[in-house]
Amino acid sequence: MAENHREGEAAKTFDVRILRQAGPGQASYWERHRVSYEPDMNVISVLQKIAAHPRTADGQDVTPVAWDCNCLEEVCGSCTMVINGRVRQACSALVDRLLEQHPDEIELRPASTFPVVRDLVVDRGRLFQALKKVTAWVAVDGYYDRGEGPPQSQEEQEQLYPLSHCMSCGCCLEACPQYARVELTRGVDESPEEFVQRQAETYDRLFLGPHAISQVILFNSHPTGRHMSSLRLDALIAEGGIQLCGNAQNCVAVCPKDIPLTTSIARAGRAATVHALRKWFDV
Amino acid sequence: MERRPVAASTDCRPFLARNEFLIRRLHSLTGLIPVGAFMTVHLATNASVLDGPATFQRAVYQIHSLGRLLPVVEWAFIFLPILFHGLLGLVIIRGGMVNTGSYPLIGNIRYVLQRATGVIALVFILCHVFHMHGWFHSELWLERVVEPLGGGRFRPFSAPSTLGAAMQGGLVIPALYAVGLVACVYHLANGLWTMGITWGVWAGPQAQRRANWICGTAGVVLGILALSALYGAMTVDVPRAVEIEDALYEARVTAHKLAPNERKRADAERTGRGGSRVE
Repeated sequence: MAENHREGEAAKTFDVRILRQAGPGQASYWERHRVSYEPDMNVISVLQKIAAHPRTADGQDVTPVAWDCNCLEEVCGSCTMVINGRVRQACSALVDRLLEQHPDEIELRPASTFPVVRDLVVDRGRLFQALKKVTAWVAVDGYYDRGEGPPQSQEEQEQLYPLSHCMSCGCCLEACPQYARVELTRGVDESPEEFVQRQAETYDRLFLGPHAISQVILFNSHPTGRHMSSLRLDALIAEGGIQLCGNAQNCVAVCPKDIPLTTSIARAGRAATVHALRKWFDV
Repeated sequence: MERRPVAASTDCRPFLARNEFLIRRLHSLTGLIPVGAFMTVHLATNASVLDGPATFQRAVYQIHSLGRLLPVVEWAFIFLPILFHGLLGLVIIRGGMVNTGSYPLIGNIRYVLQRATGVIALVFILCHVFHMHGWFHSELWLERVVEPLGGGRFRPFSAPSTLGAAMQGGLVIPALYAVGLVACVYHLANGLWTMGITWGVWAGPQAQRRANWICGTAGVVLGILALSALYGAMTVDVPRAVEIEDALYEARVTAHKLAPNERKRADAERTGRGGSRVE
């Protein structure tokens, strides 16, 4: 297929089927666009072409398809979508490879675990709420200079570096059978602040997801981050915590950064049990 | 705590939510201890019927040496843990979804199978306990409900003959038992592997692969044990078993090792015990 394209036949095209949605709560619908082929395209450049000429394959003028992207080198996670049935980043999804798998057509869907903002743009707020819940950072700010942190061994660095690759893209959540989609809508008499609050409370009761569990291991192993380890473990054993993992291991299979998520889950499971027992018998 | 059962079903969510971690860990633990451990012992005991009716009957006498404590042990260490594990399992299944269509990965298929075999195992165990044991020891319940429905077939002091009689005469019951047994064995072996991840016993990918082999082997061994027990039950020579178990019973009663208990023996008309005793 791609070979034929390179031979420079006149006006080689392929179709892009996109699951569109005008806004939250609206009905979704499929739309077909025809895009002229160029070598070395990725899905973002396909979407740029569609945005430049927002016309469907049967000649109807439509609004441009909305999508999210930023770094264009698979480190920010914002262009995550379901491409040909597989969740991945649009920037690193090369058209030549996609057409080898499915000639003449590429299918684009928004990640189904998150509420759609518009077309391929989703609200990953629940993902970030989980990171807040587990305190996925090292607290370094304070009123006085705390000096340098303790050093980290080479071995420890090598073990933790892969965990730091997480770009909060949400692929693991899309594939996880324990992570069901939740979409809340703002009530008529609800202020935006109240809605955000209710959203956070709802998300906190639901499964936090493998990405957040892995971040607990990352920051609990960090020489300074370790100081807040019991706070993070408290979050892991709270409602919606690590106990909801079903061990399907889809997360580790789809992670674009090859993060050993199930290893983190096992280590976090062990730490969480010890923490729960300590709370039960020691405090 | 004045709570009616009806209200409890709507009120149980906050309780489950508040103690979610503890309850899930207990669910995981009960799968192995006591449920998995009991299942292994139970299959081994039943497979002993392959060595002959006497071996099996002696094994059953050993269990029934607990006497009046037996129902307590049964409920505390077998029935209640199974019910807890099984019913909570149904709640857990509701919290997940099947996405093997989009992600046909081996781990994902095992995740679905774990839930499917869990449901099959729960239904099978309920039927099996009804079929053999009758659920409760109440005379009235057994005579009026269980036995007319074809349950409560097993009599501990006539163990091999009643086991054989219950499993013979048609292939439907053995086939259902085979399905139930395979489901139970898969659920235990795969559950052992996921339990090791849940508790952090095997963490790294290599360790998990190694553990996978160990759990898989344990599953195959248990599967062989389970199907041997089934085969053993299907091939018991019932009239010969009656002679052997009656001889054992009478020897024990004469030696004052056993209080006579006709309720725990086979119905005379079913196995022709009365006839053989006259000889």
